[in-house]
Order: sequence, then structure tokens, then C-alpha cells
Amino acid sequence: MNRQNVRIALQGIAGNRLRSALTMLGIMIGVGSVILLVAVGNGSAVSIQNSIDSLGTDTLTVFAGGGFFGPGGRSTGAESQQITLTAKDVKNLEKKYNAPDVSALSPVDQDGGVTASHDGSTWTAGSFEGVYPSYASIENEQVRSGSFISEADLQEHAKVVVLGTTAVKSLFGSASDNPIGDQVNFSGTTFTVIGVLKTKGSSSIEKLDTTALIPATTMQDHYTGTSGGYSEIVASATSPTTVDAAKSEITSTLASDHGLTTTEASNDFSVESASTLISASTSSSHTFTVLLGAVAAISLLVGGIGVMNIMLVTVTERTREIGIRKAIGARRSDILGQFLVEAVLLSVLGGVLGIGAGVIGSLFKIVGVQPVIALYSVFLAFGFAILIGLFFGIYPANRAATLRPIDALRYE
Amino acid sequence: MRGALSSLRRMIDRPDPAPEPGSSPRAVAGSRPAAVIDVRQVTKTYALGDVAVHALRGVSLSVERGEYVAIIGASGSGKSTLMHIIGCLDLPTTGRYLLDGIDVAAMSEDELSDVRNRKIGFVFQSFNLIPRTSALQNVELPLVYGGIRSSAERLHRAQRALTMVGLGDRFDHQPNELSGGQQQRVAIARALVTNPSILLADEPTGALDSAATVELLDIFDRLHTSGRTVVLITHEADVAARAQRVVRLRDGRIVSDEPSLQGSGERRVTLTSEMSPV
Ligand SMILES: Nc1ncnc2c1ncn2[C@@H]1O[C@H](COP(=O)(O)OP(=O)(O)OP(=O)(O)O)[C@@H](O)[C@H]1O
Ligand SMILES: [Mg+2]
Repeated sequence: MNRQNVRIALQGIAGNRLRSALTMLGIMIGVGSVILLVAVGNGSAVSIQNSIDSLGTDTLTVFAGGGFFGPGGRSTGAESQQITLTAKDVKNLEKKYNAPDVSALSPVDQDGGVTASHDGSTWTAGSFEGVYPSYASIENEQVRSGSFISEADLQEHAKVVVLGTTAVKSLFGSASDNPIGDQVNFSGTTFTVIGVLKTKGSSSIEKLDTTALIPATTMQDHYTGTSGGYSEIVASATSPTTVDAAKSEITSTLASDHGLTTTEASNDFSVESASTLISASTSSSHTFTVLLGAVAAISLLVGGIGVMNIMLVTVTERTREIGIRKAIGARRSDILGQFLVEAVLLSVLGGVLGIGAGVIGSLFKIVGVQPVIALYSVFLAFGFAILIGLFFGIYPANRAATLRPIDALRYE
Repeated sequence: MRGALSSLRRMIDRPDPAPEPGSSPRAVAGSRPAAVIDVRQVTKTYALGDVAVHALRGVSLSVERGEYVAIIGASGSGKSTLMHIIGCLDLPTTGRYLLDGIDVAAMSEDELSDVRNRKIGFVFQSFNLIPRTSALQNVELPLVYGGIRSSAERLHRAQRALTMVGLGDRFDHQPNELSGGQQQRVAIARALVTNPSILLADEPTGALDSAATVELLDIFDRLHTSGRTVVLITHEADVAARAQRVVRLRDGRIVSDEPSLQGSGERRVTLTSEMSPV
């Protein structure tokens, strides 16, 4: 192939601008849509991943009963009413020789249907929970103002409460209000507000900001009673890599305390880690990405068929021209070089425009998802588009170039 | 047009393996005259569905270097078919065709391309210019395929060839912006631009008026005089008369092959031993 072929190919492209533009458009739309749709799928996966990360990847939750994902479901089976997690369980797990990979623990002692009131405004707590001071670090909670429940509060069974933003808004009229030191009444008992939680992410998996937290000891005194158990125990592992070890330590410790085998224990309690959630959600968002990718691949294929069509028509229409060129001395390689350069130029140009369109399109939020471009989709779409352009540019050209000049000249 | 002819005189230098201008190939006394075109018992059959169309039914024709031959015959008698075979654009169904002593059937595709490019200039009955491409680029194209790298040289030679056929002012016109006669002349310029030793023309004067016809025939005479082999197809008697030799085709057979009656210059008869019977 020499410079002349490039020149002749450029003349060929310029000589038929509309056809060239249509070919490029087909490739551009195909490539652009693959990149964009895969980016949307990818973006939703990334946002789910981020919100799971904000829960803490080293966090473990012990559910009473069959658990969230295990048999029986969460707190609905008959057993979960009888067999509960107790303060003794928490004590046992706190012992380093029982669970060396657990760094912090906190019971979550829930009481449902508690109504809070302040100065005439009332609010039904989304979750009214008794916890340990360690709860804040385990669940990644931070206070916006004031302070979290302290060890002293726990020991003294102090009547203090830490409120979520929504609670503040409902009780004090404005979310930005600073209610530290104010009194709030929870179903008859008066608590002093000592802290307000920072707003966390917006994931639906979280309890959001409808929380009211009090010391676990106070909770038992005034609401759930000492005989009752906890609905959950949250724990954090020493590091994200020891989550699995911590999980099995917790399981065996609790099973032996309750006098159960590990198999029986699955009906008594269950231990879930964030990684369980992650794998569940990544597999669903992966499905989503694959689905979008498939739709996009179909559009690339349809675009590709359009390109094939134009290329085939072009070359067929130019069979006569190929005949003339051969008659005046063009070799087969000259003809192939010309069409190769034409096809490469058209498909590379279309592909580059498609990448541009995909990149620009993914700057915008699409159905609430910020697209994140997956590099593999760029290469895949671009490569596929060029292959289509090349094959359907070269194959018919080669067919025409192998004809005898006179047959190509007579072609209609 | 006189100017055009004088520029032609300058342009028509010697074709590659050419004898002295004006001299007859016969002048090479003693040595057997080399037949540059040697068609032997060639048939061409087209299959149209179940029907076989016999375009050529056993044609033998030998043309020596420097000869000027006219092929005449009724429409459909196989003139163009024979010319395409001579021009290496098509292959015979049976029989052999030797060009410069080499059997065309033995040549590779690329060799055939090079023969068409360097040795043969072909003027089609229907011009066959490349659409959406200027006259100059059309004429330049054989030089591109001929591997002439300097674009200045290509341009210069293409301009000279177009000027020679009287189209010095139509370089940038595309085929659809030219009259039939002008397209014909672009096609002739394209055939001549590589300076081939054989010029084949299928009814080159078909689209020209009588003045332009005379002009063109002068060009052919000049080419002949400079030693090129010229074969042309024509319907017109006065065109055929300019040749040395007239071959008449009928129904795919050669029915007569004789010296032109009024032909100027030397006349010769080359009746091959394989002359097909009438
Ligand atoms: N591709 C083809 N397929 C079938 N038949 C063909 C084909 N080409 C030519 N023929 C037939 O071969 C015969 C000779 O055709 P050819 O073109 O050689 O005639 P011609 O002598 O050049 O006529 P004209 O003076 O009209 O140009 C015709 O009968 C024609 O129908
Ligand atoms: Mg004809």
C-alpha cells in the first residue's frame, strides 16, 4: 500500500459525502451506546458499592433467630421469640480468648412503637435502640454536635439520648436546630439530648436518620427489661481481612454458650457480615450491567448491520469502477489497499466520534445514575466496530477485485 | 488543433521496444517477423441460462509489430469480444492467445495488470471513465498504477496527453460535465498516457463529428508512424481505409482479412495459415 492508495481512498470518501457520513453515523451510534449503557450499569454498581462501603466492610451483625438471610427470616420465627441474644453473650464475646479477631461489640436492644414528644410535637421513633458507646465506631456513626453515649452514661444508666437528623427535625421543627441539653420524653420517661448524629449516605439499606439511641442499660431499665434479649449484636472485626475469622469465632462461641451444635445454631442466631451484603448486591448490579450491555450490544450489532449494508451497496455500486481501475492496470492489491484505507478511515473516524459521544453522554446523570465508563467497553465497542467496517469493506471489494476486468465492467 | 498535433509529435517518442519510426516491421530482414498479437483458434461462449451464445467461433489472427489493423463487421459479430481478449480484459473459452510470444493463460493476475498498464492502451466503446473524478485525475490514474512516484511528473504527462487530444481547457471537468466526444477523447488520452506499444480502440470515432474524427485519425496515423501497433474497431469505411489492413468479422468468424484499398503507406497482408474458413 502506498501514498497513492491513501489519496485515492480520500477521493473516494470525499466523492460520496452522504454515504460516508451515514457509515460513520452507524458506527458512531453503535459505539457510543455501548459505552454509555455499560457506563450506566457500571455507575449504578459503583454507587451501591459505595453505600455498602459506608456501612463498614469490617462490620458483623449477629441476628437473633434465623437471621436476615438464614432460615426463618429476621425476628419472625417462633424460635426468635424464645431464644435471644443476651448480655451474657455480649460479655462472652468481649473476652479476647473467645473472639480474638473481634475488636468491638455492641448490643442493639430495640423497642418498637415508642413515641417521643417535646414541647407539644410528637414523633414515632423509626428505631429506638439501646447501645454501647462502641456502637458509634462499629456503625460508622458520627455526631454533628454534642457527644455520643459515653462509658459513664452506660454505667450510670443515664437517661440521655442521641438523635438522628430526622428526629431533630420532627421534634424541634428544624433539622439545623441545636437541641443539646433539651428534654425529650420517650413514652413517659424523660431524656436529655446529648448529641445529634451526622447525616449518613442516602442508601435505603441504612436506618437513615430516624434513629434515637440511648444506653443499653437504660433501655433495659425502662423498656425491654433485664430478662429479655437483644434483637441484634453488632461487632467489628480487627480488620476487613479478619471478618471471616471473626464470624466463625462468634458463631462457635455463641453456639457453645447456648449448648448447640453449629447446625442447630443456624436456627438460633445468624451472623452476617457486610461482605454477604456486598456479594448479594454486586451480583444483582452485575446482572443489571450485563443486561444493559446486552441491549447496547444489540444496538451495536444493528449499527454494524447498517454499516455492512452501506459497504456492500457501495462496493457493488462501484464494481464497475473497480473494473475500470483493473482495466487500466490496477493490481488486486491496489484495489484492496484503496478499500482497506477507506474502510479503516470511516470506521476509525466513526468509532472515535462514538467514543466522544459516549464520554460526553456519561458526564450527565441518567435515570438518577451517574455513569462510570468501563474501559473494557470502550475497547470492545471500538474494536468490534472497526472489525465490522473492515470486514464488510474488504470482503465485497475483494470479491469485485477477483473478477475479470470485463466482468466487473459489465456488472449491473 | 494544429498545436495539439505538434505537441503530439513531441509526445510520441518511441514506445519501449520499437523499431525506427516510419519503417516497416518487415524491414527487419532475415529474422522472422514477431507477431505481437497472436490469436489462435479462439472461441468465446457465454452461457445465458440454458442457451449458449457463441460470440467467437474459432478466430485466428496474427498482428505484427507496428501494424495498423481495422476490424469491421456487423453489430453483434463479436468485434468487442475479440478486442477484450486481445486487451487481456477477458480470457478465451478455448484456443490460445499469445501476446509478444507469451501465452496469456500462463500469466498471473498481477502480470496481466502490468501488461494492461504498460503494454496496452485500451479505448472502450463506452469510454469507462471513473465518475466523480476529474479528467486530469482519470488520465493520471494509469501512471499511478504504473508506479510513477513523482506527482509532478504524473501531472505533467497527464496534462500533455489531454492537451494532445484537444482538451487543454477541460482538466478539472468531471465526466458528467463533458460531452460524449470529449469523454471519448479523455479516454484516448488515458490510453496513451503510459506510452503503450499497442493501442486498442473500440469504435473510437463513434461519438465524434467528422472534423474531430479526422483529428483523431491523424493521431492514430502518427502513433502508427512512430512504430506502435494500432488495432481499432469501426463501422465507418473511411476510418477503416486509413488502416493498412482490414479484418471483417461475421457471426464470430473472420470472413475476410485483406489490405486496405486506399490505405496510405505500406500495405501488407498477413494471412495466417490458420485462417478460419468462411
Ligand atoms: N456478457 C455477455 N453475455 C452474453 N452474451 C454476450 C455477452 N457479451 C457479448 N455477448 C454476445 O456476444 C455477441 C458479440 O458481442 P460483441 O459485443 O462482441 O459485439 P460487437 O461486434 O462488438 O457489436 P457492436 O458493433 O454492436 O458493438 C453478441 O451477440 C452479444 O449478445
Ligand atoms: Mg462492440
